This record gives sequence, C-alpha cells and structure tokens, in this order.
Amino acid sequence: MPTIFTVDPRSGVPLYLQLIEQIKRAVALGTLAPSEQLPTVKALALELTVNPNTVARVYRELERDGVIDTSPGRGSFVRADGAGTQARRAVADVARAAFEGAVREAKSLGLSRDETQELMARTIARWYETEKDA
Amino acid sequence: MTAPLISLNGLTKRYGSFTAVDGVSLDVAEGSICGLLGPNGAGKTTTFKCLLGFVKPSAGSIAIEGAPVTPATFESLAYVPERAALYDNLTIGDHLTLYRRSYKNYDEARARELLALFDLDARKQTAKLSKGMRTAVALTLAFSIRPRVLVLDEPSSGLDPVHQRNVLDLMIDAAANGAAVLFSSHQVGQVERAADSVAIMKKGKLIVNSGIDELKTGEKIVEAVFAGPVPSIDGLAGDPNVLRVEQVGSTLRVVTRDDSDAIAQRIFALHPKSIRTIDLNLEEIFMNAVSGDQS
Repeated sequence: MPTIFTVDPRSGVPLYLQLIEQIKRAVALGTLAPSEQLPTVKALALELTVNPNTVARVYRELERDGVIDTSPGRGSFVRADGAGTQARRAVADVARAAFEGAVREAKSLGLSRDETQELMARTIARWYETEKDA
Repeated sequence: MTAPLISLNGLTKRYGSFTAVDGVSLDVAEGSICGLLGPNGAGKTTTFKCLLGFVKPSAGSIAIEGAPVTPATFESLAYVPERAALYDNLTIGDHLTLYRRSYKNYDEARARELLALFDLDARKQTAKLSKGMRTAVALTLAFSIRPRVLVLDEPSSGLDPVHQRNVLDLMIDAAANGAAVLFSSHQVGQVERAADSVAIMKKGKLIVNSGIDELKTGEKIVEAVFAGPVPSIDGLAGDPNVLRVEQVGSTLRVVTRDDSDAIAQRIFALHPKSIRTIDLNLEEIFMNAVSGDQS
C-alpha cells in the first residue's frame, strides 16, 4: 500500500479515530483505489507501532461504514463501488468533521449564530467562486 | 472475548501495617496488551511479583492461562524485571544456551534475530553491559521462548529510542499472535501506542482500569469563561460523570468522565462568554488520576 498513515499518540483523539479519518480521506482522494488491498491487521499494527486490536477496530468500523470489505482468509479491500457512493460518503464524513470543528471553534470563541453563518457564507462564496473563475 | 490469560482477583499484599497492593482485580485477554501506569511506589512491581508467585499475596487470587501459577506456568510465561537478572560471569551466548536447555519452546533462530535487533554481541560477558543492554538481553531471552503470557516491568528502561520502539513492536507482534502482555512504564506515550487497555495504580489501589479508546473518548475538560464570577451550578460536583471541578477567577474547568456534551450544555445555559471542550491525551488523564483525591 503506497499510502503512508501516521498516528499522533500525544493527541487527545483516540488512535482508532485518527486512523479511520485518514483511511476515509485516502479512499475519498483515491490514494487508496477501489478494490485495493489493505495490509493485514498485524502488518499495519507493526508498521505504525500501534496495538493490533486498535487496527482491528479500525477495519471493523470501516467495514460497518461500507468503506472496506473484509473476507476471512483473503484480507481487507477497499470496496469496489468505493469510487461511487462510498467515497462520496467518506468525503462527506471528513468534510463534516472539519465543519463541525470550525463551528465548535466559532461558538467557543463567543461568536453568535448569525456571525458564524455570515462567516460560513463568506467562506463558501470565496472558495466556490474561485473555483468557477479558474 | 476469550477467557483472560492473566487474571488477578482482589489481589492484596500487606507488609506489616503497610498495604503495598490493595484489592487489585485485573484481566488481560488473549491478544491484548495492558499498560500499567503509576507513580513510583504505587505497587506495580509488587503486583508483578505476586502475579509470578515470587511473593505470597495476603489475599486474593491469581490465574495464568486459567490456572494457578506453578513451575509449568513458566514454560509459556516470560518475565522481564526492571533490573535484568543475569549471570555476570557468563556471556550473552551462555545465557541463550541456558535457555535452550531449560525451555522446550526456545527458538534459536528467533533468539539470533533478537540479538541482531538489539545490536547485541553473543560473545560479550554480561558484567560488561550497560543497563540498557542488560535489559535488551533480558528481552531477547524473554521473547526467545515465544511466550503466551508476557509480564514486563519497565521493559524499555535504559534503551535508546530506536530500541524502545523495537520493544513496542515485539509486544505488538506477540499480541497479534495471541499472547497477553502486561507491561509497566513511566512513558505514557508507549502505553498510548502499544496498549489497548490501561491500568493506573496509586498507593496500592487500581484507580483506572479501562480500554484506552473508552478512556480517551470519555475523559474531557469542559472549560467556560464567564463575564463575571462563575455562577454556581447545582449538583455539578455531585454528578457521577464529573471527576473534578476547578475554578480560577472567571474560568470554570470541569473534568468529565462521560457525556461531556450534556455537561457543556448545562454550563452553556448559564451564558458563559465562551465555552470549549478539550480532548485529553493519556498523559493528562494519568496526571488527573494520580493527582486527584479519589483514592
């Protein structure tokens, strides 16, 4: 697998959530291609120096979310239909987490709902306009 | 979950009026790694010595692979003490020979691999080794018998960062092959990487015993800043999900065990200027646990 994942054990975010996020992002971006095989639990645990049960949990949750398929004896694979709906959903998951973080931050800094909405609208206008201009 | 390979039930060890280990119950399952944290003198080493049958407990019971500890237990159990016990007048190779003769599961190829991993020269006499190299020899011996149960007391003390990482990888490899690993460490980052469960001891008592993900997901700090003095919040300190409430000036900090969102909502209703929820890493959770007054 060409994609290199990294974990930050000093973060307050549990390692399994860090890995789920990174793998979803890789599927969304296509760095992990549809039908591509993932390393075994043991191989990824050793590569990242993280607990094997942590990796097993990551694979279980990715399977539950429809991002990967695991078949006993064969291993884990990115879902073949990943290019379509699953990848879209994975993108949405990653984006939603980023949005949530931004809104939480705005709220914690004491911005009102209107101020936050205004900020959001301006940001959307800026990035989506830029895209249209390009 | 399969039956635990290591099981402590109400383990207690008293020395006169001093209770070194106080009612510790802890299980480590097949394929699991438990990291044991605690300040010096918390009772970690005494717990290990009881577990291995070196010290007779005052109360409680111990089971390894579902049975009481007997000499046969050590066929598949490896113990690395904090200070490696080696024969000073023998070489590293002599130690391997002793192991070959003593353990039927001894794996010579594996032992040679481990020597190379730790950059050890089998011809060296152990008396001449540094503390870290002695630890490395003890680890080589421990993993050479492909144990089902591993009890490691500060297994990376004196090792350089590369070899410390090797120790974690050895534990991970063993657990991936079905072993149960119980290790103590002062390095919280190592526990955070290698362990799936965390035990924290303080003054002989087990004050935290939890899956690492549950611990990190659950424990957070809700911090609110008010325009004026912090208003009083009914029943907050008595809430079972609140571990501690701190107040500094107009800032309120609430350490929560679970359901930090509900607590944040309650505080938010009092119109603070700002409020945020802070994720805690294991080191902060550890510091909160051992400095708190819940023991």
